[in-house]
Amino acid sequence: MDKLTEVLQSKFGYTSFREGQKEIVEQILAGRDVVAVLPTGMGKSLLFQLPAYFLTGSVLIVSPLLSLMQDQVEQLKMIGEKSVVAVNSFLTFAQKENVFQNLGAYKFIFTSPEMLQNDRFNKILASIDIAYIVADEAHCISQWGFDFRPDYLRISKWLQSNQHSNVLALTATATKKVVEDIEKTLCMQKPFSYIHSVDRPAIAYEVKEVETQQEKKDWVIQRIISTSGPGILYTQSRKKSEMYAEELKKRGVKVSYYHAKMDQEDRILVQQQFQQGHLEWICATNAFGMGIHKDNIRQIIHDHIPTSIASYMQEVGRAGRNGEQSIASLIYCARDVEQAFFISIKDFPEEIDIKYFFQNDEKIIQLPETTTRILKYWKEELSEKETIELFSSIKQAKWIEIQKLYDLFQNDECVRKQLLHYFGEELITRPNNCCTVCSLNPKEILFSREPAVFKKDILNWNDRLNELLP
Amino acid sequence: MYFHQILLFIIHKFNGERSQTASYYLLKGKKSGQTIQDVTYFQLHSYFSLFPKLSKESYDEAIKILQKNEYVQIENAYISLAEKGYQQVNNMEKPRFNGWLYRGNEQIFWKRVELIVQTLSQFKFQQKKFIPNQKDIEIQHFVKKYFQKRDFQSPQFYTSFKLQLFQLFESANLEQFQKELFVYRLSGYKKSGLTWDQLTNYYSKTELDLKFAFIECLHILIDAISKEQHPDLFDLLDGVEVEVPLTESAVKTNNLFSKGYSIEEVAEMRFLKKNTIEDHVIEIVSANPDFPVEPFISNEQIEKVLEIAGKYKSKKLKLIREYVPDLSYFQIRLALTKGEEVNG
Repeated sequence: MDKLTEVLQSKFGYTSFREGQKEIVEQILAGRDVVAVLPTGMGKSLLFQLPAYFLTGSVLIVSPLLSLMQDQVEQLKMIGEKSVVAVNSFLTFAQKENVFQNLGAYKFIFTSPEMLQNDRFNKILASIDIAYIVADEAHCISQWGFDFRPDYLRISKWLQSNQHSNVLALTATATKKVVEDIEKTLCMQKPFSYIHSVDRPAIAYEVKEVETQQEKKDWVIQRIISTSGPGILYTQSRKKSEMYAEELKKRGVKVSYYHAKMDQEDRILVQQQFQQGHLEWICATNAFGMGIHKDNIRQIIHDHIPTSIASYMQEVGRAGRNGEQSIASLIYCARDVEQAFFISIKDFPEEIDIKYFFQNDEKIIQLPETTTRILKYWKEELSEKETIELFSSIKQAKWIEIQKLYDLFQNDECVRKQLLHYFGEELITRPNNCCTVCSLNPKEILFSREPAVFKKDILNWNDRLNELLP
Repeated sequence: MYFHQILLFIIHKFNGERSQTASYYLLKGKKSGQTIQDVTYFQLHSYFSLFPKLSKESYDEAIKILQKNEYVQIENAYISLAEKGYQQVNNMEKPRFNGWLYRGNEQIFWKRVELIVQTLSQFKFQQKKFIPNQKDIEIQHFVKKYFQKRDFQSPQFYTSFKLQLFQLFESANLEQFQKELFVYRLSGYKKSGLTWDQLTNYYSKTELDLKFAFIECLHILIDAISKEQHPDLFDLLDGVEVEVPLTESAVKTNNLFSKGYSIEEVAEMRFLKKNTIEDHVIEIVSANPDFPVEPFISNEQIEKVLEIAGKYKSKKLKLIREYVPDLSYFQIRLALTKGEEVNG
């Protein structure tokens, strides 16, 4: 057994590498810049974790999403790696100082793009030995990516002015254009790129257009009460997620809603209940999904048109991680296109906001927090006119994105083929159950649901406490 | 309904002398002079900072409902109980909060217990790798240290912790459903707690009602923990009680008083108005009944003020001052504060 496989076994408990993993790890160890595009659940984290055990120095992982950062830290701790730290805005001043003093002692240092603006942090980073740098969720760097974070662009400047270690960029979804953007922004030198197929043969695509919102709702409810999960119903608003959960509960489905407005404790409890199989369905906004480690999800339903092909792929990609046949169903009305556009630009500043922002003190303007953050970034980089133009072109691009997705569902071509095409891939083998357009027999895929025996549980604190602590 | 009842209690105590936002600031634990003074004047210690995360929308909605159903009335911006509200208050059991002392910190206690139970439960089933429900690093560190000091994997610790928890639950004067709330919010091996939404459905109560009942449950439990009977739980109370229940500024003033400076001197030294220092005196006196007030007011004067307040059933300063024109507003407030100590 070679050294890599040995560590793979002893540290991570796997007996063999998945497709592409070994190649990528070898390239990192050889000191090359790497871009890796791998679907979620294909062992992305391993790519930056494993090489650390063969190199001296710390690994610096830049992650734009705090919740994701937390999840990764927890996953590392789960495998017994204690030398992990997350340097982000959640740390108190005292905690930060404490971490800074021993920074070089950590094997894995997670941080956010914002923190890279901190002078003190930078000085300390410059003084320690860095094995390599990881840009996680790298598609956020590209304004063509569906989840653009301007703060992430700051990493580019940071890389230019700091010691150059090799960079590993990781993402689950990226078009060719986005990959180019990533390479450029991260100042990569002749990077090795590994792009895994975005195709998920185990997922069948079902698409259905209806006339009215009511029809849509009826269809969704009927599907959920008659066929078996586990499944996620993605909706567009908190209100809708709660409404569906309520309706389904009335019909005896074990279900919960999930959205960003819930208490953190409750969000964790819902995730756990779903993971442990106590819930059949989750009615969620797109806030649900990050850090869900559940591999037997059979159904994903969308009752709307998502805001881009990439975000759609990411959401349906949560089904069938265990390789078993699953189905992604999308049901929509023609009017949902406008709604999708409205949602995708709702945090975008209007021309008048931009003007006002540039001409006045930013503190006095009441804009959503994300909008303020985005504008603050561009105010440093561009003129007022350029910013206005930029936003109008991004808006246009968003519109085109949504239109593309809509067309894809509307026309008479294979859904899978079109999805792959969008990411620059050709469809080579078509599974038996492919999509509504080619061939799909939902009856083969969907099992009928055994209605949950509905007895109202009686809560008993004494028994429960004895079950928790037997 | 529970949240509404609590509001009625507070509004009752305010005696028609405050606007409707006063109760909101009180529940949020606003650290302004006005709110802190109100706590003392109206003996609202138990409700102070009960729910720091309370949203203005939920609060306004509750007030609206109370008004619509004629439990309260708002006149000239002052809110007071209506007839129906009085009846309610008289027929209700008094809530048992201790907001002044815990100020939201009861959640720290809760999070520590939650993480400990989760850990013990997982370990009991040989699951040494699990994702902690508590994400707060402070909580994680605390529990880690707590475990390090004990032989936490030993059956002895497990048994004694469990016994103490059961003993506490059996002895504490809680309602059945409060015990259920606490226990069903806990998670462990293959069992995750219930969300507020799920509990809301089960009890057919609103989420806020349950959350207030939960806070009350935590306060009662914390009050009931004793070092002798629950040594392992007692150690979880570290930093939960507010040690000096004074604002930072009042602490500074207090330090100068203890060095023998007068109100005027402190005001000058701290570049603050005399009024502000007087506010501090009120705050200090309400937190510390032994603080000597003789330099500011005599015993006879205090008695006089309380007599008037009692006779006219009012704490309105202006009204009282009509009968004791030689006293300052500050002295009247001080007297009322001392009076609350006797009665409260």
